[in-house]
Amino acid sequence: MTELKPITALGAVAPRVLETVRYSLRENDGVAFASLVLPADRPAPAVFGIDLPEPGKYAQGDAGKSAFWTARHQWMIEGASLAETDFAAALKAELPEGRVSEQTDGWITFDIFGTKPEAITALLERIVNLPAATLDPGCATRTSFEHMSAYFVRRSDTHLSVIGMRTLAGSLWHALETVIRRLDVDG
Amino acid sequence: MSRIQGGLIDRSRKLSFTFNGKPYQGCAGDTLASALLANGVQLIGRSFKYHRPRGVFSAGSEEPNALVELSGGARQEPNTRATGIELYDGLQANSQNHIGSLSHDLLALNDLFSPFFAAGFYYKTFMWPRAFWEKLYEPAIRRAAGLGALSMLPDPDSYDRGYLHPDLLVIGGGAAGLMAALTAGRAGAQVVLADEDFMLGGRLLAEDTAIADLPGAAWAKEVTTELQSLPNVRLMTRTTVFGAYDHGIYGAVERVSDHIADPGASVRQTLWRITAKRTILATGATERHIPFENNDRPGIMLSGAMRAYANRWAVTPQAKAGDPIAIFTNNDDGHRTALALAAKGVALHGVIDTRAGAKSLGDYETFAGATITGSKGRKGLKSIRIAQAGRSEWIDCGALGVAGGWNPNVHLASHHRGRPVWDADKLTFVPDADSLPGLHIAGAAAGQGTTAEALADGARAAMAALSEIGLSAAPADIPRAGEEPTGIEAFWHVPGKGRAWVDFQNDVTVKDIKLAHQENMRPVEHLKRWTTLGMATDQGKTANVTALAVMAELTGKTIPETGTTIFRPPYTPVSLGVLGGGDSGANFRPHRLTPTHAWAESQGAVFVEVGQWMRAQWFPQPDEIHWRESVDREAKAVRDAVGVCDVTTLGKIDVQGPDAAEFLNRIYANMMGTVKPGKVRYGLMLREDGHAYDDGTCACLAEGHYVVTTTTANAGLVYQRMEFARQCLWPDLDVTLISTTDAWAQLAVAGPKSRELLSRIVDDFDMSNDAFPFMSCSELTVCGGLRARLFRISFSGELAYEIAVPARYGNALMERLIEVGQDLGVTPYGTEALGVLRIEKGHAAGNELNGQTTANMLGMQRMVSLKKDSIGAVMSRREGLIGDKRRLVGFVPVDATQPVVAGSHLITQGDPVDMEHDQGWITSACYSPHLGSAIGLGYLENGDQRFDEEVIAANPLEGVSVRLRVVSPHFIDPEGERLRD
Repeated sequence: MTELKPITALGAVAPRVLETVRYSLRENDGVAFASLVLPADRPAPAVFGIDLPEPGKYAQGDAGKSAFWTARHQWMIEGASLAETDFAAALKAELPEGRVSEQTDGWITFDIFGTKPEAITALLERIVNLPAATLDPGCATRTSFEHMSAYFVRRSDTHLSVIGMRTLAGSLWHALETVIRRLDVDG
Repeated sequence: MSRIQGGLIDRSRKLSFTFNGKPYQGCAGDTLASALLANGVQLIGRSFKYHRPRGVFSAGSEEPNALVELSGGARQEPNTRATGIELYDGLQANSQNHIGSLSHDLLALNDLFSPFFAAGFYYKTFMWPRAFWEKLYEPAIRRAAGLGALSMLPDPDSYDRGYLHPDLLVIGGGAAGLMAALTAGRAGAQVVLADEDFMLGGRLLAEDTAIADLPGAAWAKEVTTELQSLPNVRLMTRTTVFGAYDHGIYGAVERVSDHIADPGASVRQTLWRITAKRTILATGATERHIPFENNDRPGIMLSGAMRAYANRWAVTPQAKAGDPIAIFTNNDDGHRTALALAAKGVALHGVIDTRAGAKSLGDYETFAGATITGSKGRKGLKSIRIAQAGRSEWIDCGALGVAGGWNPNVHLASHHRGRPVWDADKLTFVPDADSLPGLHIAGAAAGQGTTAEALADGARAAMAALSEIGLSAAPADIPRAGEEPTGIEAFWHVPGKGRAWVDFQNDVTVKDIKLAHQENMRPVEHLKRWTTLGMATDQGKTANVTALAVMAELTGKTIPETGTTIFRPPYTPVSLGVLGGGDSGANFRPHRLTPTHAWAESQGAVFVEVGQWMRAQWFPQPDEIHWRESVDREAKAVRDAVGVCDVTTLGKIDVQGPDAAEFLNRIYANMMGTVKPGKVRYGLMLREDGHAYDDGTCACLAEGHYVVTTTTANAGLVYQRMEFARQCLWPDLDVTLISTTDAWAQLAVAGPKSRELLSRIVDDFDMSNDAFPFMSCSELTVCGGLRARLFRISFSGELAYEIAVPARYGNALMERLIEVGQDLGVTPYGTEALGVLRIEKGHAAGNELNGQTTANMLGMQRMVSLKKDSIGAVMSRREGLIGDKRRLVGFVPVDATQPVVAGSHLITQGDPVDMEHDQGWITSACYSPHLGSAIGLGYLENGDQRFDEEVIAANPLEGVSVRLRVVSPHFIDPEGERLRD
């Protein structure tokens, strides 16, 4: 274990949290990410208990592992609370035939919990220029928000993860906080 | 007060407001216009050119006259239509476009000089004397232009944006729109119904026509209630759909809190981008008027508006209640106003009808075959002159309604340049049904203007639209509506010698159109520009068709032959605030922060924007006054000891796969596929046309696994370009790309003591020159087990490394390096010192790679491999490029005290300083603390053969020329010994 002390994407020791009337916005610095590319000429195997999802989808596996589709034969594998581990190495060990790229600190997850599903729907109308069904629970997609590219993962009807570039964390948080506070006022 | 019985206002809720500082009261449900009329206020504004007194002319967004400055202070909003402002408690409004009071506007003098201000006058005047233009004419014109004034204060409001994707967008909530939404809503379709009003119902709110035995407004309320109960229907009142764009996208502005005095934390407006599978345009129609002499006085308004004020807002427009009202019409609709007013007990003179056989539809007098030929009343209508059967007579009149027929609101249907079609029976333009893919037009917007027609047409349009997207709707049960007479005969203006206004907002009269005809400005687009007809906030909604008819009469052509001008968004004015949306100031655009940003801030770094990045430019020390002191110190520290700089911003692209080497060979001009694991190679990329594109390094981490670095500026573009090549040019290559720029914090550690510094943090890693020579790379651990990547590469020309760790540890690694390197003189350095160091070393950067640079110019022609093909390789060898003799060289001033200015053009000594004798230019310049003088890099004709020659660096912008000596671009260590040490 290194003696260096990490900081969060927002530049602090502890993740930032915002609680409002209708929403909870949480910086989740604990998610490990690794990009996985598998050969095109054979069926995709399960990894960490995850049946690798189809385009536009998100799937969960064992012990906080999950995945969402990112490109042809390519997925982003997530490991909850594993950001301090060499997650890419673990994935490579699991699937030696896969091409793995460490992505953990390329991204930052902002988890948004709505008090009701309608709160998430209202939020999506403000931040994503896509039909609502594109982000039904179990769906994931990449699109832009406030001139920032991000992944949007609908983990449940009241839980949306916005996964943005780590270096843009401050701007992304500001944009999400602004929308959330406005929705608290204007519905 | 001129309130009458009935209406849809809430008389129990009184609202206080001010107009020109004077307090008034209105009722909930009023607009500012209806409340002012209810208080007997007729004079509301001044016209644009002649500063004629003007009052309310319409009851909607087509209003040309009643424009006010709304609110005060930073929220002051000019040119706001009083007819569309929902009254709220505390509203402040002021009249605009006058000097002195509204009643005694000094600029009303313009009206006396109106012969000098005829159409196109500004094209003919202000020509002489020439010198007067800048000092006198232009300031005076600018002072007069623009109607209302901005506060010039920062906008205190916030604006939002959003996206909707309904099956069906219904634009307009009148009879047709409500019926369409109801039909589609009941069928289960996702429906958005948008209407600019704060109540749904459209003209149903203004009419007394019964629907299903209910008053029209009551029926609209019932339908609204049902629509509100449907979860698949979204009702958006106070929302104007202002434009139709490509792919079924419509722009809309929702006025979220414009009707609230203090919006608090609420957004003011929301910009909605609505992507609809199908759209129904049910925007109704706008009434036109009939120009006659002096037809612009306050108290003269559209007949349909007068009916709306009476029925919806329970108000009549006379200055004094009880003054008689008259109607001037060429159609039956004018009679409907007379009937409505008579039903409410309003005193009527009667209806002046241009049709010879016109008859009264109720208990009022009709002047058949008559016209109005004049009016009196300086600040409000006092009397009108009725001409009938060769006789004319002045009669007292408190208000006049004018009915010239209805124009369907075709605007949105024509935003893709669709031309409306003339309907000779209805005497109006109707939209072309095929004008816009996915758009169905219904109700009065399609020329189906009676309530019964609109209800049926709305249901029909919804069923047709849904069937196109695979949804079925049950045949609608269309409610029965009362009869409405629709007879009309063409009558476009009353001939006469006086001025008869066609376009009120721009003071365009029939005479102006005649002048335009006389001066051969006859095509409609010329007519518009010459006279300013149809411009400004109302875009001629009440004027355009009438003007076309007048021009047609003059040319002898038909109205459809005369044609219409092009319709463009927005339908009504849209604030720049809501179009901009989002944030202003520091958050106007996103910023990327480097992993060491927090540390740099704590050190007082001065930051610079580099694209989206915020990079530390230099780190000032307490005793340093000028930035150069900081930069010189940092650059010298790198040359003498060791410096650390965050270079995370350089692009990093992970390349993997069995064909990765071949892929890189095709991407890079030089041979890259042969780089061995543990090694790094410098690479040059060319553009397809053979010019230099980007440069960087390629590190081979393992067999078939590479990390490519790019310049900061081109990181995204190079990645995009490589993806294009992978997916489209060579899909047969088995290779994978992914950006890792953000994932790794990368620090440059440069200087003769860099090896010593790094050796203090690596875990059991042999840093010796033999074990880890120049252009090596390795994965390793640092600081007790932290995974890292080490590259021995140099941008400064010194012994140097770049070390990468997971981004979350970048800040701590920087702290650690500074902490453990104190005895070595470790110094953080910013982008400015980085620039000095690379110029001293002669490394090309963005300034040198300007899109017209060839490998030859950079002295890298041998890097373009002949042993393989790569993007741009063949084109780089074409005649035009291969013959370019300009070469990158260095420059020092002959007089060491002189500056070198980037951008200066290079001239051979003795030659004239002009473009014919241009020999090149300075690309980069800085002060070199190493040399103790300014230095520069630049491209010079045959520069590599002109070392020691003196040339002139001409800077004509500042009138300065400096003598420079041509030298090697490598100001330090030209043999490259330091970086290999």
